[in-house]
Amino acid sequence: MRPTVLRRSALGLAVLIALAILAGVLHLSDGDAARRGLGLSLAFGAAFGVVLQRSRFCFFCNTRDLIEQRDPRGVLALLLALAVGVVGYALVIGAWLPVPAPERLPPDAHIGPVSGALAVAAFAFGLGMAVSGSCISAHLYRLGEGSPTAPFALAGTVAGFAAGFLTWNPLYLTVISEAPVVWLPHHLGYAGTLAASLAALALLAALSLWRARPPVSIAVHGSTGLSALAHAIFVARWPAAVAGLAVGAISAASYLRVGPLGVTAEIGSLARSAASGWGILPETLHGLDGFRGCATVIKQALLSENGLFVLGLVGASFASALVAGQFTPRRPRGRDVVAGLAGGLLMGWGAMMALGCTVGVLLSGIHAGALSGWVFLAAAFVGLLAGLPLRRRLAAG
Amino acid sequence: MSSSRISGIFVRGRRSFAALTVAGLAVAGGAFAAPAAAQEGPLVDVGWLSENLENPKVRVFEVSVDPGVYERGHIPGAVNISWHTDLVDPVKRDIVSPAKFEELLEKAGVTKDTTIVLYGDNNNWFAAWGAWVFNQYGLGDQVKLLDGGRKLWEKQALPLDTKAPSFASSDLTLPPAKPELRARLADVLETVDGKKNAVIVDIRSADEYSGKLFAPEGSKELSIRAGHVPGAKNVTWSKAVDPETGKFKSKEELRKLYADAGVDGSKPVIVYCRIGERSSHTWYALSRILGYEVKNYDGSWTEYGNSVGVPVVNLAGTVWQGK
Repeated sequence: MRPTVLRRSALGLAVLIALAILAGVLHLSDGDAARRGLGLSLAFGAAFGVVLQRSRFCFFCNTRDLIEQRDPRGVLALLLALAVGVVGYALVIGAWLPVPAPERLPPDAHIGPVSGALAVAAFAFGLGMAVSGSCISAHLYRLGEGSPTAPFALAGTVAGFAAGFLTWNPLYLTVISEAPVVWLPHHLGYAGTLAASLAALALLAALSLWRARPPVSIAVHGSTGLSALAHAIFVARWPAAVAGLAVGAISAASYLRVGPLGVTAEIGSLARSAASGWGILPETLHGLDGFRGCATVIKQALLSENGLFVLGLVGASFASALVAGQFTPRRPRGRDVVAGLAGGLLMGWGAMMALGCTVGVLLSGIHAGALSGWVFLAAAFVGLLAGLPLRRRLAAG
Repeated sequence: MSSSRISGIFVRGRRSFAALTVAGLAVAGGAFAAPAAAQEGPLVDVGWLSENLENPKVRVFEVSVDPGVYERGHIPGAVNISWHTDLVDPVKRDIVSPAKFEELLEKAGVTKDTTIVLYGDNNNWFAAWGAWVFNQYGLGDQVKLLDGGRKLWEKQALPLDTKAPSFASSDLTLPPAKPELRARLADVLETVDGKKNAVIVDIRSADEYSGKLFAPEGSKELSIRAGHVPGAKNVTWSKAVDPETGKFKSKEELRKLYADAGVDGSKPVIVYCRIGERSSHTWYALSRILGYEVKNYDGSWTEYGNSVGVPVVNLAGTVWQGK
């Protein structure tokens, strides 16, 4: 086929996917109150997928770029997303709970137990990101780019979740049941939490800039006009500022209308349903369903809010990759399979034990003022550093 | 209020702000006791409530059991009540203590002449439980349920708000809880033995009543015996509502529904379910709407079905096997 024909069919397919998502959102949104949440989830997922794909918003790659290439743009986008979401959540929570009274927590916010188990789980997650080359949310958007690793990483994640269910009970009884659930506004107030979070993020941004190979130049293109604009939106990587603002805004909007962002509830629920069906799940997972986070359930309905969110994410990133000419599937090699499965296994176990991943615990947790989010950030970063040499060996192998 | 009048209100739609302003002027003009008292009886309908949201003598409380429902949109001005912490003692199994309940109501600015309107999700189950607690603390004449609850308010596409309201605190002293609205295990057993003259109504589903199910779909098994209290009549709570709107059926229909099951108000009534919340809904219908003498047995099947040595009727013959 000639390249122009290929390009046209790619664009046509992208338009079809976009229309299908739009039709899905409209169809789900005109029902009763419960179904409107489904429609919104699909829309938020699609928006998130476009932003992740267009800005290459990947917790692992962005951090690796800073460490190995000394390119701070991706990390700055992450930090900006955290800052914007912290402010957005503060606006929402301040309206819902005008006073952070000691016995109250904001509804559904991902404020998890803080314990050694969380640190170990986040470390394993960071290691798994490095081994597989992405975190779970980035594997989802890369599924839409035709990545050869992503399907194996996601399969590994499901297996990792099953492993997590098997280790949950002993760890719950020895460590997690006694762990405090720390919500920073209980200790610092709203203003104090906002100030402390933004100060910590500013410090991390300063460290990233210090690490950057000087100087960071912001390229300004002189060309204007429609085609330059279209190129900037549909083909070029979105600037860090745009990505950060968009992710933070989607996170706060989703919390206001549906619930905190997260990408593992559906994957974990699939793993839990399958494990339960095969009879390998413990009869009771102690205390699990009482915690805040990416809750897993044994599936009873086909459509769930998180399932539609993930579906929208993958569909929209696929369409977006097609338009950008970044849908480049290739046949998986042995090392793609090994890296994907091994990294996925670690991430799945970590996400199960931590009650979420970089999106559900780190992003949504820090946004909500949860100490668990910050612990996840620190421990996953250490895990990532520990895994980088492995990644280099795998890439070289 | 008839349904035609409700639709009249909704047709006005965009003029509701003007209507509220007019209502406000009427209040300022001294005609104010009238709007609050205008809705006689134990129920208020959505039309009346939508016109009385600005009325300072009306205080609305949402008692929903799903987290985040209130916060993501509630009836404007409604105060949130968390069933799991605000209406019960979180340590021992009991209703909320008078001191804690007083504090909750004072914070919401409730006084002895506030009209208290309760509503919630799940067909007002937990709002009805709330009404039962309010009644025990002597506020029965002031408490009304929003007929149709959250479901009907949403269905009518009436506005929701996400802000938590704040009110000037009031000073309220509550009497001790009235024991006569609450049945204990001993009351139920004395009724079974014929020492007390009362009729027991099991308001769970037919499958829970017969013993086919240990617990309803979606709930964990909490009792190790299935079945019902000997002599209990089974009238599933949902028979008292119109499934479309969630509103209680008319007084006459309710009277007939329960009379057909042998509950006509000639004897005191005891209602129970699994944990006492769905039975509050039936308690409300029988006691507040029909005016019968009714106690809610809040220990319900999770107490009775676990009690050692009490008589049980299990029509289905299910045997508990620890699974």
